[in-house]
Parts: sequence; structure tokens; C-alpha cells
Amino acid sequence: MDLYVPILALGLLAAGFAVFSVGVSAFTGPKRYNRARLDSYECGIEPTPQPAGGGRFPVKYFITAMLFIIFDIEIIFLFPFAVAFDVLAWYGVVEMFLFILTVFIAYAYVWRRGGLEWD
Amino acid sequence: MTLPMQPEFTSPVIEYSRLYPLLIVFGVAAVGVLVEAFLPRDRRYLVQVVLAVLGLGGALAGTILVAADLDVAAGDLTARGLVAAEGAVSIDGPTVFIWGVLLALSILSVLLFAERRLEGGITAFAGQAAALPGTEAERQASTRGIEHTEIFPLAMFAVGGMMLFPAANDLLTMFVALEVLSLPLYLLCGLARRRRLISQEAAVKYFLLGAFSSAFFLYGIALVYGYAGTFTLAGIDRAVTDRVGGQNLLLAGMGLMAVGLLFKVSAAPFHAWTPDVYQGAPTAVTAFMASCTKIAAFGALLRVFFVGFGGAQWDWRPMMWIVAIITMVVGSVVALTQTDIKRMLAYSSIAHAGFLLVGFAGVFEGSSGYTGITSLQSILFYLTAYGFATVGAFAIVTMVRDAGGEATHLSRWAGLGKRSPLLAGVFAFFLLAFAGIPMTSGFIGKWSVFSAAWSGGAWPLVVVAVVMSVVAAFFYVRVIVLMFFSDPVGEGPTVAVPSALTGIAVAVTVAATVVLGVVPGPVLDLAQEAGSFVR
Amino acid sequence: MSATPFLTLSALLFTIGAVGVLVRRNAIVVFMCVELMLNATNLAFVTFARVHGNLDGQIAAFFVMVVAAAEVVVGLAIITSIFRTRRSASVDDASLLKY
Repeated sequence: MDLYVPILALGLLAAGFAVFSVGVSAFTGPKRYNRARLDSYECGIEPTPQPAGGGRFPVKYFITAMLFIIFDIEIIFLFPFAVAFDVLAWYGVVEMFLFILTVFIAYAYVWRRGGLEWD
Repeated sequence: MTLPMQPEFTSPVIEYSRLYPLLIVFGVAAVGVLVEAFLPRDRRYLVQVVLAVLGLGGALAGTILVAADLDVAAGDLTARGLVAAEGAVSIDGPTVFIWGVLLALSILSVLLFAERRLEGGITAFAGQAAALPGTEAERQASTRGIEHTEIFPLAMFAVGGMMLFPAANDLLTMFVALEVLSLPLYLLCGLARRRRLISQEAAVKYFLLGAFSSAFFLYGIALVYGYAGTFTLAGIDRAVTDRVGGQNLLLAGMGLMAVGLLFKVSAAPFHAWTPDVYQGAPTAVTAFMASCTKIAAFGALLRVFFVGFGGAQWDWRPMMWIVAIITMVVGSVVALTQTDIKRMLAYSSIAHAGFLLVGFAGVFEGSSGYTGITSLQSILFYLTAYGFATVGAFAIVTMVRDAGGEATHLSRWAGLGKRSPLLAGVFAFFLLAFAGIPMTSGFIGKWSVFSAAWSGGAWPLVVVAVVMSVVAAFFYVRVIVLMFFSDPVGEGPTVAVPSALTGIAVAVTVAATVVLGVVPGPVLDLAQEAGSFVR
Repeated sequence: MSATPFLTLSALLFTIGAVGVLVRRNAIVVFMCVELMLNATNLAFVTFARVHGNLDGQIAAFFVMVVAAAEVVVGLAIITSIFRTRRSASVDDASLLKY
């Protein structure tokens, strides 16, 4: 069980930091409420208008989500490489380069066919 | 805490000189994606078709070269070839035979995909799959002549997966290959230009059931891995022969893997998707799926069960006997009641899966010095005969049309023989080949499969198979009678004149079916040359 | 530590997924059940890798995750397109093809 002590300590540290910073800002920060503050948060951009009565989300969110999933999961194959890159030496570098090249073929398709354009 | 010593790394040996047909197909598929990305819309069609045909042709030529210098496997009398890519892929006689047949059939299928004249200058695939059926956007897409040329790279990826599937020598590679061949097919099924609701429904059904069955396949792999501690078929064979550990794990794993594989060959009771998907998918895709998927899946089924689970054959043989009988009966009997030509051909393909399973369940592997045909070799020949006749029959279906597209209802085929004797005659010929009438490829195929099963001691199965062949012959003959001896109802369908692409596909498949029936010797010899699997 | 609890959990999850595929009516939920089956398999893979003391099973889990992601992308695209056409994701409503 000794192995878990550092992980536990790290977890406690992280939780403590989060609680501390939120708590401190609640006490010391200025309190000014305006429309932008109270609006729903969408990664800092202007919120996309939603249809009245809780309609469905536009299908363009779907494309973004799917592209994210596929490119995100590809990275999993970099993980074994990252663990053993020093032993694999140049062989690993070349293989990973080829792998990323094939991922970029898919990326080029998405980019050229307008998959990355929002409107 | 110290890290364990890192073992010395030796880079894997990849036998590029044996694997290049596979790499050509995947490479051309990737280039096809780039073509889609960078070429202007009006140039894509031609480039994609040329690229696909050249790529498949190059891979076929490569396969022949690879087949020509396969070495005799060490310590084996019948097998030629080697296990390549660090045990992931085996390049042996059956592999190169299947590759050759698959590539030849996929070239013909790509020609059907590329057919433009039947729809009035446009392919039979949806102009814009994202546009809703019946909307303004869809009408605009079709009046502007937009078409999805992505179908060609998708088909190439599917062909690549199909080549890898029967060649895979470890279960993980096999699973990845299964998905690589399935995912493009799910999409292709939903891309019909006409009757899009049916096409989309077929895609959803195929996808949900396909994902369900591959989950079973995967869990089977996990259990077999738990039993044997390795993914390689040779390692599993050792574990099975030595009877290590709990047999329950092995039996459950074998059963679950069989579910996944039998789903792909559309054997009953895992056949429910077949009629719906074959009917709903664009006919060119159906031709491709019905022939190539079945070949690839049978290759994989044989390899897993003969090489990996050969030592446990007394455990799985009874199961396969039952599946074979159910499949033949369901396929032949239910086909009698069909009123749609594509659905009828789908049930016919289920019945053929049953006949092929007879050869498989017979498990006759020959012995040294034996010169007759073994189960594996007879199945390879049957698959060749079945594949060519299937592509040809579906190619004919694309040509019989009325105002709404293809006229697939059987009543619309009445009297076709009077209107277009040539086309009806060719179709009748394919049906006779399916039925296994002498002087056609189907007869030689059935004969060799049944005789191999008989030699393997599965004579009750052969008796059932012969009876079911007679039942199946009945519904093929029914269509022939309908075409030649009844009068057309009302206006009747028209027989559209296709471009040279479909023409070539039909001509080649007719020629192949005749040659395989009249002089089957050379191809039978080739199938026997294929020998057996390397271990 | 014995492997049995992990394998039992894996089998339970797989069964829940399989039953879900058979009884649920919404295509998205059916598909989520398939994903649950794949993840149950992953658990079995890593457990057996531990039992046998080799890494094959862990590598298999990576491949399964990637395949599952690709399947999600393809599958949701198909389900979305039929949903937009029919305004319904129920697998019972898609019934043009039968018998």
C-alpha cells in the first residue's frame, strides 16, 4: 500500500489548492455583476443562440465533437511510445512519424472539406 | 524504488516483400482521401476510379508474384508460406488465393460503383449524404450533379480490411481487420441515391447488429486470451492441445468468437441482418458485400478454427453441424416466400453460407500423400464460384429499371425473357449456377464441398445439404419460369443499357462462371496448390 | 489479489450491455450498451494481462479503445442522419424493411 501514499498526497494537495483558491477569491475579489458575468459560459466566446423552448442543438456541434473524439483517441498510440521512446531510439521516431502522417491525411481531408469551419 | 531493467530492444522484422499487396491497397486508399481533399470536384470521379482500379490491379499483380515464390513452410508437408510481421500476418497458400479472388472481385465491384449511365450521368450513390431526403438541398445537389466520390476510398479501406482479415495470424490483428472492413461498409450501405430511407435504415440495422456481434467476437477473444495467455493462433493451438487450465474459459471464448464470425458469413441464427441490408444498400455495394465479405469472413473462420482451435475440434464440430443445418434450411425455405429479387438473393446467400459450412463442419484435412480435395481447398473453390456469380447477378439487377429506379419486385420481372432475352438468359444462367446445375461453377463447387465433407465423415450433413440444394433449386427455377413463361404485368420494366463498366463486369463474371463450370481443372488445381494454413 | 472479482464485474457489465441492446428502443442507448460491452471486454483484457503477467492484454485495450472511438464516429453519423430524416431515433420506427 506504500505505493499509494504519494498518489493520495498529490490528490490532497490538488484538492486543497482548488478549495483554497476558490475560497480566497470569494473573500478578496471584487463583486460586480453584469450581463456577461451571468450569461452561460461557453469557453469564453459569445454563447450560441438557442432556439426558444429548449430546441435541439445544431448539428454542427456533432461534427466538432466527433472530430475531437477521433483525433483525441489517436493520441493513445503515442502513449506506449512515450513510455519507451529511449529504448526504441530512431525506430520509434520513424514509426511514430509514419503514424502521425496518416493521422494528418485525415486531418487534411477534414480541413479542406470544411469540417473545421463553424459557419 | 528502482525501475526494472529495460530489456534490449530489437526492431521487428516486417517482410515488405510479402506484404506489399496489402500495403498498396491501404496506400491507395489514403491517397484517395488526399484526392478528395485537394482536387476540384469535377476531376475527382475520374481520378478516383482510375486510382482504385490501378491500385487493385497492382495489388492483384503483386499477389500473383507473391504466390509464385512462396516457400515450403518449415516442418510441414502441405503448407507453403510464412508467418510475417512478427506473427501478426501469415502469408500462405490460402491467404494468397483469397487475396487473388478478393482483388479480382473488388475490381469488378468498383466498376459497378463507377457506373454512371444507368442513373443518367451520375453514380448510384447519394449526391450529398448530409442533405435530408426530399428537401430542396437534396434536389439541388442532384441537379448540380454532385456525387460522393468518397465511396472509392471507403471501398479501398474495406478491401484492405478484407485482405487482412483472413490473413491475420493473431486475434488482435483479426479484430482490427474486422472493424476496418466493417466500418466503411456500414457507411456505404447508407449512401443510395434512390430510396434513401430504406438505405439509411439498412445502414442503421447493419451498424447496430454489426457492432453488437463484434462486441461478442471481442469478448470471445478476451476469454481465449485469458485461457491461452497469448493472441497468436500458434500459441492458442499449443494451449488447446496441452489442455492447460479451465476448459470452460476456452469453450465460452470459442462460442463467442464463433458468434462474431458466423454473423459476418451470415449463417443462421445470426442472419437476420442479411436480407434487410442486402435489400436496402445500393446494389453495387450489395454485390461487393455479398461476395467479398463472405470470402474474407470464411477465410478468417477457417483459419481461427483450423489453426487455433484445431485441437478442440470435437468440442466445436457438433455446434457447427447444427449451425450448418439451420442455415441451409432457413436460407432455402425462407427464400421460397420472397417477393423482392434482392431479398431473394440475400436468402440465397444465406443458403450458400450453409453449404459452405457443410464443408467446414466436415473438417477433412487430408493426410500426407492424399491427392483428393480437403475441406479448406473445396471451400476456396466454392467461394470463387459463388463470388463471381453473385457479383454478376447483382450487376444484372442494376439494369432492370422503371421510373423509380431499380425494379426489384419480383412481379416486375415477369416476362423479362420476352423483352430482353439476352439479359434474362444471363440472369437465368447465374441462377442455375447458384442452384448447382451441372456444367456451371456452382455444381463443381457443391460437388467438391460435399465430397470433402463426406470424406470427413459428415455424411448426414451431406444428405441434408443435397435435399436443401433441391429445395433451393426450386426457387431459382421459379424466377426463371417467371421471366420466360409469364406475360409482363402492365407496362413492365425497361432494361437499361449500361456503360462499358457494368458491361465488362457482367462479361467477366459470365465468363468466369462458364469456365469454372466447364473446365474447373486449373482453378481446382490452384485451390489445391494453396495447400493448408501455416502454423 | 484474486482476479475473480474483476472478471465477475466484467461479465456483469458485458451482460448488462447485451441485455440493454436487446431491450432498449432508442438507437443511441442501444449503441451506448454496445460501448459498455466493449469496455467490459477491456476490463477482462487488462485483468487477464495481469493474470498472465504479460502486456498483450493491455495493448489490446488500447486498440479496443481506438476501434470503439472510430465506431462511435461512424455509428453516430449514421444514427444522426436517420434521425434527421425521421425525427425519431427509435429502432422500432425504422421498419420499412421486413420479412
